[in-house]
Amino acid sequence: MPAPLALRVSGASFAYAQTPALTGIDFDLHPGEAVALIGPNGSGKSTLLKGILGLIHRTEGTVEVLGHATAPAGTVGYVPQTDELDPEFPVSLEQVVMMGRYRELGWLRLPGRKDRKAVAAALETVGLNHLAKTRFGELSGGQQQRGLLARAVAAGPRLLLLDEPFNGLDQSNREALVGTVERLKAEGVAVLVSTHDLELARAVCERVLLLNGNQVAFGPRESVLTLDNVQRTFHEVGVEMDQHTLVVPGHEGH
Amino acid sequence: MADLLGPLFTAFTLPFMARALVVLLALSLVAGIVGVLVNLRSLEFISDGLTHSVFPGIAIGFVWGGREGLFVGAMIAAILAAVVLTVITRRAVSGDAAIAIVFTAMFSIGILVVSRQTNYAGQLEQLLFGRLLTVTAAEVTQTLVICAIALLLVGLTLKQQVFRAFDRTAFAAAGYRPLLLDLILNVAIALVVVAASSAVGNLLVLAVLIVPGAVARLVTVRLWALFPLAAGFAALCAWVGLTLGFEASVSAGIDLPSGATVVLVLVAGYLLVLLGRLAVDRMRRPAQPAVDPEPVTA
Repeated sequence: MPAPLALRVSGASFAYAQTPALTGIDFDLHPGEAVALIGPNGSGKSTLLKGILGLIHRTEGTVEVLGHATAPAGTVGYVPQTDELDPEFPVSLEQVVMMGRYRELGWLRLPGRKDRKAVAAALETVGLNHLAKTRFGELSGGQQQRGLLARAVAAGPRLLLLDEPFNGLDQSNREALVGTVERLKAEGVAVLVSTHDLELARAVCERVLLLNGNQVAFGPRESVLTLDNVQRTFHEVGVEMDQHTLVVPGHEGH
Repeated sequence: MADLLGPLFTAFTLPFMARALVVLLALSLVAGIVGVLVNLRSLEFISDGLTHSVFPGIAIGFVWGGREGLFVGAMIAAILAAVVLTVITRRAVSGDAAIAIVFTAMFSIGILVVSRQTNYAGQLEQLLFGRLLTVTAAEVTQTLVICAIALLLVGLTLKQQVFRAFDRTAFAAAGYRPLLLDLILNVAIALVVVAASSAVGNLLVLAVLIVPGAVARLVTVRLWALFPLAAGFAALCAWVGLTLGFEASVSAGIDLPSGATVVLVLVAGYLLVLLGRLAVDRMRRPAQPAVDPEPVTA
């Protein structure tokens, strides 16, 4: 019997209040696989991630995590964009990562040796051990992003949702992040990563979901990332398109 | 030296001074801890709203049951206000306007109720500014119980409160219910307002709630040090403020309202710490190393 799907979204639509934000979403995600969520700004990438988390109202369809209608506690990790966080907040990197352990600790228990170990291991995974005691707000954007990834990793999730983790990262942070995602996949973690970076999708993702208010295409990256599909996805956003035209596979064929 | 420091201890051999000190120390401890969360969440305006909305409860309770009824009325109003507030800030697009409207309305209701009383001005003054030195033994017990409940609410959820303050989205994504946590914190704030209302009064409680947290933020960026620092600072100011008021009255014959004296000591303490912070920053700046360079990781 094959392992259950990490995530299956069938015929799903999501809405803010009464305004539909995203319709016709149909895809799945296997353990150890990464799917790239690609679309221009405002195409519904964050909406889909938050919809899967249950933070945004689903108006139709189903979302199943590991075969359950509601995700079993602690199975889903989420890495938000860092620009929503207060840079002055008095908390160290280590303490941020420890937040990933709170769910397992429950309301009353204080972090113990096991939790400190998990935090150290998560920091090791993203390559930030040496900055554990640094105040989170003093880290660079890329380091903060990796710190939030470590927080998600510390909880030991089976499904990881990353919201634009590669935005504005320099080369070294980018490589560190790609390395971490590869390592997690090798451990059987399923990864759903939103990005408007086609190159990145090629680097870490087996399959691709193109999004622009609705689902444009879903499938193996070679067959989905055609010029035609990409144009349909990014049709009104020339800038994004120009940056990436060169890396679109299948370009030669057209 | 002994002349200066002596009153810090001798003044409190008088029972009414001892009662005032006990009430203020309990209040300081809880308000300090709750106040750090208020600071981290930027809930200053909401806290102000809560003080206003607890006022009609205090007033109605007072009119119905005298000083005994005051706590009951305040408790009911506090819990109600905390619930309404939690819902409003979640639903309303412009939370601030909604808070301002609801709570000034509440405050006006309180004033209307008190104004039906004879000796309106005197009673209003007591309710707004407290009467620390005439607190009864029964009120001490009530204050301690209310403080204990508030401390328990915040203490048992402290690490989750910090997580929620830092990153609400990830907190919700982790499967927590931010609304529940907000309700717990708002109730705790409301309880502090209730506990403080007989001591420092309904208007001055805001200082006890907000100044210690702000001071702690100036002193440290270490998360778990904030809470004891804020509580300790509040307690120290309460002690010094009470002594100062007592000395002014005994030695100089100047009758200082004790609640306001304590609040001014708090604010003076804040200014001192602020100046200290600015001085330290100025001295450190030239020597400050650059932010950690990007590490090279494979």
